[in-house]
Amino acid sequence: MSVFVEFQNVRKTYKTGELEIHALRDVNFEINKGEFCVIVGASGAGKTTILNILGGMDTLTDGHVWLDGTEISSYNKKQLTAYRRYDVGFVFQFYNLVGNLTAKENVELAAQICKDPLDAEEVLMQVGLGERMKNFPAQLSGGEQQRVAIARALAKNPKLLLCDEPTGALDYNTGKAVLKLLQDTCRKKGMTVVVITHNSALAAMADRIITVKSGTVSSIRMNDHIVDVADIEW
Amino acid sequence: MKRNMMRRTTLREIRATLGRFLAIMAIIMLGVGFFAGIRVTMPDMIATVDRFFEEGNLYDFRLVSTLGWEEQDVDALREQEGVRFAEGCHSLDVICEGEDETGFVLKTHSIPKDINLLQLTEGRMPESPDECLMDAGMAETTGMIVGSTVRVSDSNDEDTIDALKYQEFKVVGACHSTYYLNFERGTTSIGDGTVRAYLYLPPESFDVDYYTEIFVSLDNDDAIYSKPYKDTIKALTPVWENLTETQATARYDRIVADAEAEIADGREELEEKRAEGQQELDDAKKELRDGKQELDDAEQELADAKQELEDAVQELTEAKEELDKAEQELADGKKKLDDSKEELDKAEKELADGKQQLDDNGKKLEDAKRQLDESEQQIKDGESQLAAGQQQLDAAWAEINAGAAQIDDAESQLATQEQAVQMQIEQLQPMWDMLPEETKAQLTAAQEQINAARAQIQAQRAALDAGRQQVQENQDTLNAKKQELAAGRAAFEAGRSEYENGKRQYDEAVAKYEEGKAKFEDGKKQYEDGLKDYEDGVKQFEEGKQKYEDGLKEYEDGKQKYEDGLVEFEDGKKEYEDGLKEYKDGKKEFDEKIADAEQELADAEQEVADLEKPDTFVLDRNTNIGYSCFESDSQIVDQVAQVFPVFFILVAILVCMTTMSRMVEEQRTQIGVLKALGYSEFTIMGKYMAYSGIAAVIGCILGYAMGSLVFPTVIWMSYELMYIPLPLIYVLNWKLALAMLGVSLLCSMGTTWLSCRIELSETAASLMRPKAPKAGKRVLLEYLPFIWNRLKFLHKVSIRNIFRYKRRFFMMVFGISGCMALLLTGFGLRDSVAGFADIQYGEIILADAQAGFKESYSEVLPADLQKIIDDNTESCLLMHAGSWDLVTEEKVKSLTLMAPYETERIADYMELHTMTDEPIPFPEVGEAVISNSIHDRYGINTGDTVTLRNEDLQEIHVRISGIFENHVYNYIMMRPETIKEQTGDMPEINSAFLNFPEDADVYQLSAEISKDDRVTTILLFDELRERMNKMMGSLNYIVLLIIACAAGLAFVVLYNLTNINITERIREIATIKVLGFFKNETSAYVLRENLALTIIGIGVGIVLGIMLNHYVIDHIIVDLVSFRNQVMPLSYVYSIALTLSFNVIVNLFMGIKLERINMAESLKSVD
Repeated sequence: MSVFVEFQNVRKTYKTGELEIHALRDVNFEINKGEFCVIVGASGAGKTTILNILGGMDTLTDGHVWLDGTEISSYNKKQLTAYRRYDVGFVFQFYNLVGNLTAKENVELAAQICKDPLDAEEVLMQVGLGERMKNFPAQLSGGEQQRVAIARALAKNPKLLLCDEPTGALDYNTGKAVLKLLQDTCRKKGMTVVVITHNSALAAMADRIITVKSGTVSSIRMNDHIVDVADIEW
Repeated sequence: MKRNMMRRTTLREIRATLGRFLAIMAIIMLGVGFFAGIRVTMPDMIATVDRFFEEGNLYDFRLVSTLGWEEQDVDALREQEGVRFAEGCHSLDVICEGEDETGFVLKTHSIPKDINLLQLTEGRMPESPDECLMDAGMAETTGMIVGSTVRVSDSNDEDTIDALKYQEFKVVGACHSTYYLNFERGTTSIGDGTVRAYLYLPPESFDVDYYTEIFVSLDNDDAIYSKPYKDTIKALTPVWENLTETQATARYDRIVADAEAEIADGREELEEKRAEGQQELDDAKKELRDGKQELDDAEQELADAKQELEDAVQELTEAKEELDKAEQELADGKKKLDDSKEELDKAEKELADGKQQLDDNGKKLEDAKRQLDESEQQIKDGESQLAAGQQQLDAAWAEINAGAAQIDDAESQLATQEQAVQMQIEQLQPMWDMLPEETKAQLTAAQEQINAARAQIQAQRAALDAGRQQVQENQDTLNAKKQELAAGRAAFEAGRSEYENGKRQYDEAVAKYEEGKAKFEDGKKQYEDGLKDYEDGVKQFEEGKQKYEDGLKEYEDGKQKYEDGLVEFEDGKKEYEDGLKEYKDGKKEFDEKIADAEQELADAEQEVADLEKPDTFVLDRNTNIGYSCFESDSQIVDQVAQVFPVFFILVAILVCMTTMSRMVEEQRTQIGVLKALGYSEFTIMGKYMAYSGIAAVIGCILGYAMGSLVFPTVIWMSYELMYIPLPLIYVLNWKLALAMLGVSLLCSMGTTWLSCRIELSETAASLMRPKAPKAGKRVLLEYLPFIWNRLKFLHKVSIRNIFRYKRRFFMMVFGISGCMALLLTGFGLRDSVAGFADIQYGEIILADAQAGFKESYSEVLPADLQKIIDDNTESCLLMHAGSWDLVTEEKVKSLTLMAPYETERIADYMELHTMTDEPIPFPEVGEAVISNSIHDRYGINTGDTVTLRNEDLQEIHVRISGIFENHVYNYIMMRPETIKEQTGDMPEINSAFLNFPEDADVYQLSAEISKDDRVTTILLFDELRERMNKMMGSLNYIVLLIIACAAGLAFVVLYNLTNINITERIREIATIKVLGFFKNETSAYVLRENLALTIIGIGVGIVLGIMLNHYVIDHIIVDLVSFRNQVMPLSYVYSIALTLSFNVIVNLFMGIKLERINMAESLKSVD
């Protein structure tokens, strides 16, 4: 399998006055296409910074990031926006749905700006919300909202699906259902999915597990015994 | 401690959310500023004018009597209770000319001492009666300047000219008068009917013995226009009417009594004069008779004198003959004398020659004798000299010899001495060296002394030899001289004998000369006797001749005297004849004069009998144009003040409410925590109350300060085009300020309280949980699928957002529409005001000019005047134009009545149409049309009947048949027949509309016409239009002020709404940024709502603006000018463009803010 995502000696430094804080240093890892990758680490370890950089929401101080053969670390602001627009799908911890739009409209909001979007209704049907398309987010449960969020990310037909603690705000069962949806998406559609979590239990379901610690990658390992979501306990 | 903490978090909150704080502050500031500004303007203006009137001591009553007043009337009124001052003044309307000889009517007043005081603006007060002060606005209206001269025109009637002491007045200063607050100068019955300016003259400049009016100032300091003042005046008016009536009647009685006394005096005087005159005539007659007698006497005297003169001529002729004879005789005697004189002179000469010769010879002899004597003496002297010389020489020889012997002795002595010394030396030689030095020196000195003496002896011997030599030489010389002397003595002896012979010859010649001389003396004596005789004869003749000439002179004098007498006589005769004639003329004149005087007395008696009892008027301040105009003008602002602030208050409430509720929502968790920690609701709420309260207080103070400074200042500036410039007084109205503060606090803290109350009612636990987001809602439009489905997806989002928050929606719509309405009103105001002169002189008055005549003519103009006008114009329309008073119950208002003679031709000069441009037919007899300003101001409508009164107090009643659009002056128009019908007389022609040919030089043509003395003025309407347009330019300040307020309103509202939107939707915005919305897409997503709301606001604003504009224009009625309510299309464009550009500016700012939103916000949890 080919290397899809590659971090090469990535360093991210925040400057606050005289003080330099190294959020990331010497981060090196690769993710292959179609893999389900879990990046795990404690709070403040640098997971979110990696996500921000990979998602094109932040720039890095030093090093290179490649996605599908293109170096995104050399993009300017506008190119980054285009990158987020066309290549990346986001799933947020708190769903981040637009309250004033119905489920379908929320999906359309993302689909609207894509080159080759999937049909909103179809995607919603796929995530199991065929019946609730016309509901506003306030009328949906947390799991349903997260499904809408996933549908919104998928409708863009991205190269990469980035999920930030997708189950963080959900109860146990709902969280499981959402994870299942993500895993299925990966398996069925061959989508590269990167999940960022502090919950190491989730690692069991991933193809590749990247552990982050104190701003750097402490281990990368391939999972030989992939466990089905339903069997994971935490 | 707790307090402190709360204070700190409040202050920190303000710092953190400065934009929000400023928004509340700004909207409160705007609202308060606008409200307070407009509210304080009228009190400020009234205070300013009140101060001006108080300082200038404006009158309370103006008393006018048809008979005028005297000083004693003034004194009597001054004594009345409650009177502070009373002063009699002169005033007179005069046609004047400036230096370029243009004529205009000026109102002249006497310079007052106590009442209606003047404010010198330039130059100085007059110091002599031929100086004056001019109206400070006069340069504008007449072109006169300080330093120029005002001439009283010859076209004034005689009474006017006589009433002034001088025909020319030098303008020494300019002033403002308390009596003239604005630039209206009123109307007059002379000239063109318009008083152009006033002139203040020293009282002495008036040559009249009565006052035109008395001004009374009461002991009352109530503010102008105030109710107490009005009540006081109302109560006092009847009292003063009585007083005035009484005083005027007294004056009438006095005049009658005086006149009767005067007539009696006159009659007495007449009798006296008659007697006096008769006496004079009699005296003259007597004098003439005496003169005649005198003339006769003189004639006789002249005849006598003539006879005497003739006798004298005879006598003189005889004397002349005798004189001639004597003269001949004298001439003969003279000839003889001259002959003998010649002979004598010859003899005398001969004698003189002889004498000369004798004298010469005598002199020669004497010389010879003297020479001989001298020679003898010389010889004798020589001999004695020689003897003395010989003696001297002998003595010398002896002396020399004695000297030689002496020298020889000295020589031998010396040799002895030398020898002794020499010996001594030789003796000492061997022991020379042992010798003491002293001895050596002594010896040497002795040796030297000897040597010196030898040298001296040798010198003496040489001198002696020289002396011997010289004596020898002298001996030789002496011998030679002895020889010479002996030869001299021989020559002397020969000379003496020659001299003795000469002397003898000379004595003989002297004897002969003495003989001739005696003979000559005898002849001379004879001649001198003859000469004496002759001279006596001449003298006698001269005397005779003198006597004759004196006689002749006497005769000529006599003749001259006679001739003079004759002339004098002739003169006397003539004089007598003149005197006689004069006497006859004088007698005739005397008779005539007596007859005239008798007639005059009779007339005076008649006049007194005819003298009517006087009419009196008590006029209060309301009849003063400046005073009454200012009252209504200052009310305009107050009326406008009723509407505007409503917007601001409404918007302020909405802004505060949305802002504060948003703030409270944001800090929900914090409130929950505080509540959980046990803080009381009151303390928690305190923070927000303090936040909004501080903003309100600061905003209120700033707003009040700025509003109450800026508004009155700007509005006052625009009033300056109608009123004299006064420094505005700013009155601090504490009550209003406190009320504003109360409203501000209520508005800000009240809304805060409302917002907090809802949140605080929840439990701490639920507060700490995130608030359930407000459910999305469908809007009405969605139920119209045919529209909804066609909308772009993102537009749908915006539409839903717009209607999601009602409060914000209304805040925006009110704010933006308020802004739009304000702008539209501002520009509309300018359009209406700027355009009125163009409409007035472009669409209503179509004539080119209006002429005023000096006199009034009935029915037609004099043919030659008509011809001058016809030659220089294309056409003209004659009319009566006069000042008439509209009599209503409350006030008397002066209007301009126009009655054109050929009403069928009016259409070429004036277009009568309604405000909605519908034409109005010219009124029929008994009807009149009025200008819309009269309608607006006095509520007179079509179909009403009004009463008009002219200067002669004739009244007419007319029915109003229409109201026509007219913006300058208050016109009432009717047919002249209407006046004739009611007063019996056709109103006289005193004015005309003129139309000049196209492309003609109107200035030249109008000048041609005004050359005629009977044309007093020509008013060129184009010129007037330009002047008015210029004057109205100052309204731009108000427009700018309104634009500034509108901009402020728009900015605050737009900024606030956008700010709330952004802070509230920060997650949403971050999310769509993460989703990959480009910069402009993100901006559009958020700001599209602003644009949509702005457009809705503009739509509402246009409607509001039109209404507001109507309201404002309807309430702005300047006394002689009313504006047409019109808003130009361009003004709509400007207003919309400005409103949109405010939106764009805010959006640009907000775009930057959006740009700064960090996408990481999307990852945060909801709080």
